[in-house]
Amino acid sequence: MNRNAIKTVFLACVLFVVPLCTFGQQPSGEPTADAEEVFAQRVLPIFKARCFSCHGDEPDDLRGEFDMRTLDSILKGGESGDPGMVPGNADQSLIFQAINWDELEMPPKENDRLNADQIQYVKRWINDGAPWPSEQRIAEILRTTDAKWNTHEGVKVKTSRGLSDDWTNRRYKLEDLWAYQPIRNVEFEIQPASRNPIDVFINRKLTAAGITPLPKADRAALIRRLTYDLTGLPPTPESVQAFVNDTSDDAIQKLINQLLASPRYGEQWGKHWLDVVRYADSAGFSNDFARPNAWRYRDYVIRSFNMDKPYDRFLQEQIAGDELFPEDPDSQIATGFLRMGPWEHTAMSVAAVTRQQFLDDVTNQVGVTFLAHELRCASCHDHKFDPIPTVDYYRMQAVFASTQFVDRFLPYQSHENTTGFEEGKTRIENLQKLKGPKSLTTIPRDQWPVESWDADTETKGHKKVANKRTQILNRELKRFKPFALSVYSGPDRDFTSMKIYAMMPKKKQMKGNVAETRILTGGSIESPSEPVTAGVMSVVESQRVKLNVGSGKRVTEFKIPNTIAGRRAALAKWMTLEDHPLTARVIANRVWQFHFGKGLAGNPNNFGATGKKPTHPELLDFLASYLIENDWSLKKLHRLILTSDTWQRATGPNLPSIAETDPDNLLYARFTPRRLSAEEIRDSMLFVSGELNLTEGGIPARPEINLEVAMQPRHIMGSVAPAYQPSPTPSQRNRRTIYAERIRTLRDPMLEVFNQPSLDLSCEARDASTITPQAFTLLNSQNSFDRSLAMAHRLSQSHNSIEDQIRSGFKIAFGRSASDQELKQCLVHYRQMLIIHQDSLPALSKPPTYVIREMVEEMTGLAFFWVEDLDVYAGDYQADLKPWDVSPEVRALADICLVLFNANEFVYVY
Amino acid sequence: MSIDRREFMYGLGASLGGVALTDLLSSDLLANNTNDDLKNDSPLAAKPLHVPAKAKACIMLYMAGGPSHIDTFDPKPKLDELDMKKFVRKDKFASAMASGERYFVKSPFNFRQVGESGISMCEHFRHLGSVADELCVYRGCQAESINHPTANYHMNTGNRFGGDPAIGAWVTYGLGSENQDLPGFIVLPEVAYPQGGSANWSNGYLPPYFQGTTLRAKGSPILNLFPPTGISRDHQRKNLDLLARLNEQHAQAHPDHDELAARIQNYEMTFRMQMQVPEILDIKNETQSTREAYGLDDLLTQDFGRRCLMARRLVEQGVRFVQVYTAGWDSHDYIERAHSQRIRSIDKPMTALIQDLKQRGMLDETLVIWTGEFGRSPDNGKRGGGQRAGRDHNAKAMAMLLAGGGVNAGHYVGATDELGEKAVECVNPIRNFHVTLLRLMGLDDNKLTFFHGGRFKQLSQTGGELIEELIG
Repeated sequence: MNRNAIKTVFLACVLFVVPLCTFGQQPSGEPTADAEEVFAQRVLPIFKARCFSCHGDEPDDLRGEFDMRTLDSILKGGESGDPGMVPGNADQSLIFQAINWDELEMPPKENDRLNADQIQYVKRWINDGAPWPSEQRIAEILRTTDAKWNTHEGVKVKTSRGLSDDWTNRRYKLEDLWAYQPIRNVEFEIQPASRNPIDVFINRKLTAAGITPLPKADRAALIRRLTYDLTGLPPTPESVQAFVNDTSDDAIQKLINQLLASPRYGEQWGKHWLDVVRYADSAGFSNDFARPNAWRYRDYVIRSFNMDKPYDRFLQEQIAGDELFPEDPDSQIATGFLRMGPWEHTAMSVAAVTRQQFLDDVTNQVGVTFLAHELRCASCHDHKFDPIPTVDYYRMQAVFASTQFVDRFLPYQSHENTTGFEEGKTRIENLQKLKGPKSLTTIPRDQWPVESWDADTETKGHKKVANKRTQILNRELKRFKPFALSVYSGPDRDFTSMKIYAMMPKKKQMKGNVAETRILTGGSIESPSEPVTAGVMSVVESQRVKLNVGSGKRVTEFKIPNTIAGRRAALAKWMTLEDHPLTARVIANRVWQFHFGKGLAGNPNNFGATGKKPTHPELLDFLASYLIENDWSLKKLHRLILTSDTWQRATGPNLPSIAETDPDNLLYARFTPRRLSAEEIRDSMLFVSGELNLTEGGIPARPEINLEVAMQPRHIMGSVAPAYQPSPTPSQRNRRTIYAERIRTLRDPMLEVFNQPSLDLSCEARDASTITPQAFTLLNSQNSFDRSLAMAHRLSQSHNSIEDQIRSGFKIAFGRSASDQELKQCLVHYRQMLIIHQDSLPALSKPPTYVIREMVEEMTGLAFFWVEDLDVYAGDYQADLKPWDVSPEVRALADICLVLFNANEFVYVY
Repeated sequence: MSIDRREFMYGLGASLGGVALTDLLSSDLLANNTNDDLKNDSPLAAKPLHVPAKAKACIMLYMAGGPSHIDTFDPKPKLDELDMKKFVRKDKFASAMASGERYFVKSPFNFRQVGESGISMCEHFRHLGSVADELCVYRGCQAESINHPTANYHMNTGNRFGGDPAIGAWVTYGLGSENQDLPGFIVLPEVAYPQGGSANWSNGYLPPYFQGTTLRAKGSPILNLFPPTGISRDHQRKNLDLLARLNEQHAQAHPDHDELAARIQNYEMTFRMQMQVPEILDIKNETQSTREAYGLDDLLTQDFGRRCLMARRLVEQGVRFVQVYTAGWDSHDYIERAHSQRIRSIDKPMTALIQDLKQRGMLDETLVIWTGEFGRSPDNGKRGGGQRAGRDHNAKAMAMLLAGGGVNAGHYVGATDELGEKAVECVNPIRNFHVTLLRLMGLDDNKLTFFHGGRFKQLSQTGGELIEELIG
């Protein structure tokens, strides 16, 4: 296919190639047909699909005693005694009222509700006398009229096959199949040649809607927007000044290139990817054991973005790096993607269930991440809305049947950060020498929560706690060994969470069988039915093959080998075929979403019938083609988007015409302001306070989190999880948030409250809610006070007068100068605060060096207690700058800094 | 876009009464709306029922670890005959814990029949018998997971893998709250959180207003409710005043940006909540007889008792859904000691709760539920080489209690087999229990949906059946 996307010819018009459509045409309106035909073609299939499960399929258990299988039984009605239908009068007919959700509401589930067309057909049939022909007659009608109905509101789609003929032969609205259509070869001509093609697409719709878009944002707003977009940090006052003063034509290009070349870019965009794949440093569930080497995957992602790894390669590495690029260390680390979901197998779980859970998770996650399809929906039944039969689900799942877990021994590469290993290892080894839980008798009596306790309970309890502590510490040691959370292809094998290492089996053990994949009836492993072999989404394949008929190329449906090795490699190859309709669209849409706050297709994880349709389908196709044309370079795609007028538009002042015509800004007449993400808020505070340590990568950092949450006891299997202690030094703690340890059952409440998503579910787009706990967090937390004090200290070090300190504070926090009025208000405030601070000396406080734990011992039903030492706080811990370290003047200035951090201007980007 | 007024509201102190904010707002965002209008648009505003129902609020007493039905409300005399009898279980679908050499374990407890309804109760329920006729004992529910966190998630959210909204979030989403000054869904955990952690009371994909707010048992009841020590209220007020001025100037420069006003308002709420929250939590004014009834003077009962009392106070204030956790029911060994202690720790407080609600005329409108995440097995395995009478996890059988709020009080519903191994009568999966719980509160699971990720989602995941027998 010729993907030569842009021709820059001087012409005043824009030409579009007629979109290719492999599903055929779909005229609108209803076909002319008599009532019998409408019944056979439409009404009866609706009844079968939506009504009979409660009103016919089980004659002994009819809901409301209403049987819909025959005309007589409908006319007879149900328990109410009223007839179910009045032929000739739909409005008077109970079944019509019910499907119309007019008092009665049937089918009762919102998901099953009939659409307007379906309701219309039933209405038409009733009004035309409700004839119910014989079975032979129905068959006859279907045979003679299929061709006519085929062309009306709905097309059939060829898939492998559904579990029922009704599903196999069902019809889809053409608009719901957009994602399986080939990516359109959008050729058009631009005038003038310098125009950004994105603007051509966007402006076409704006013009059609009669909307004049807002002008470009001013320079100060642009640099702030751009710097946050690409790096997740604010611009420095110096770079703002330089950009505002640079009047050259390519000033913005230079800035974009500079930011794309910064390592901060990979940290910011890697964060987006980690949201989609649910990255975490722990395994979740009842032990929530550490995944001590998962950080290598996190760094791999960041590295891949920074080096602009072609996206097709990025995909292949994560799906099948071990098979496709066995010599490349990063490609082994990449397969950690397949293991990112929560996983645990202990004596309390059933091995077959746990394995199936993994297979379901990985199949669905691959679908969601790369193909924007929740494949899981098809695990119990053929997909309700999309052309994904259950057979396809299990064919895709069979791709992973030979995927086994391994902690792959993989020496560190020169670009991997291994600092802190020695001290980290020494710390764990020292802890291993200690006994762990101590009796209350080891602390002063006035701190005992009780006067006495049961000695037997204590002994039993302490033993369990010590045992769990050993398990946890042993896993911690693994952190400092060069293993990678990875997979290999091999025969069946058992895994358990209780084993710390899943080692690569010896050659001999690599012989054996791969479990046969069978369709699980209702998704239950207790009900296996027919076997399937590995395969791919048949809806995509049938369209690809159809499209190439007559092209001279011989394209056949893509096959996945049934060998132990090579299944994933084949899947990855299939997903990155140049004519794959989903892969490029999915990533282009994600990139757009992270730049604009919403995707062109509004559900980046769901391109199926129920996902939002693209607002600008041609543009999405253009971006997808552009990406492929440019060797799947995401940085080139960023440049194209960021240099468009569309992206550079002002957020306001809004025009009434825009506000009225397009309140949700679907046409992009303006740029939508956004709130900073959780990570951006934390990182920006550290950046502005001068404390941010920009070291890249390595074992997870442990920032200080709310102390009460850090000490919060959490039940894990047989014990209470150890307290969370931060990294000992400020520079170790004050790293970018992407490097902070992500523990599934212990989230940093500051990040959670600002909408950092769950670590268990793929997040396609973050929320940015405004809720009261956010104000508590930013106004009252120790973190806010520490950052404010550090910022005040920084300002007091660099400027002598309070006026200059305040002026500088505005510049580094907001990227602009303080107005005279603001300066005046801040000075008044400063003087008031100074009096308060001069009058009161801050009370010295130190973090605890141990914590008292309490648990009920299940063997005796009695509580027992223990003292848990906090070795970091008792040892090398160095606090951040504290109020007692500084003068009243700095403390008073810190109050102003606190206010700046809380200001709307700090957390919104325009 | 018109301002999203719902953003103004959240939980504690969310009422607009006495807010002097309009003068802080440069635009006329609020000028055309009275406070009542705003209230009606709040996500926590009371909403109409789907179906008529008695229960307006729900208190869920959650026994983390899985209480044994066999040793509480479902006596199995057959086990007396089989006690210590050995057998071997080999089953592909059994966990390692339940496989291999097993032996039956009789209940160490005596049972008695209580109330007019003659409900059987373990002897260690010394008080609960006095309210026996208020109870509906349900023995037909089946869980699916035999692991604590997944079973907890299943019972709490309908999804074994977590991440979905909890029941309390759904109920609050569906019904709103009667009190705009309090969150609709409050969780009273023990000092230690249950397995699975705060995902057990998550809002999932529902808006964050519906997240369970924990009133923590120790320390600051709400995180960061107060600034670090040494910051006085006056000091904070002055900071807030400067913040308001900066925000005001910023809002003037961005008149189209609606969220600014919501965020400004949130800061004023925090200031008011610092006064209100301690008042809500203060139980000093409760009478000595109330304190005694809830067992606040006894070490064994005081923790659970305080939280049961708090649950009553919160429901009285109009909170929609209160969940009280207590752990320690995972009695794999020595069930006699372990369960007798656990039972005694909850017996008096939960009895007092039901009596108290009744005396105040609130029981009819308050659904009280007692449940764990699953039941326990009639048999046990060897651990550490010895036979110690205890029980493993059992997803196929469990016991629940329901009281108040229109339940079929004074009845047994459902039954397990003669060993208590699995439910055999009125057998229902958790999703049906969820559908029933919602119905008791006037909500139809099929209508209580939220469109997310391209699908209408619901508590039962894919729909469920009503357990009619549980409804009075």
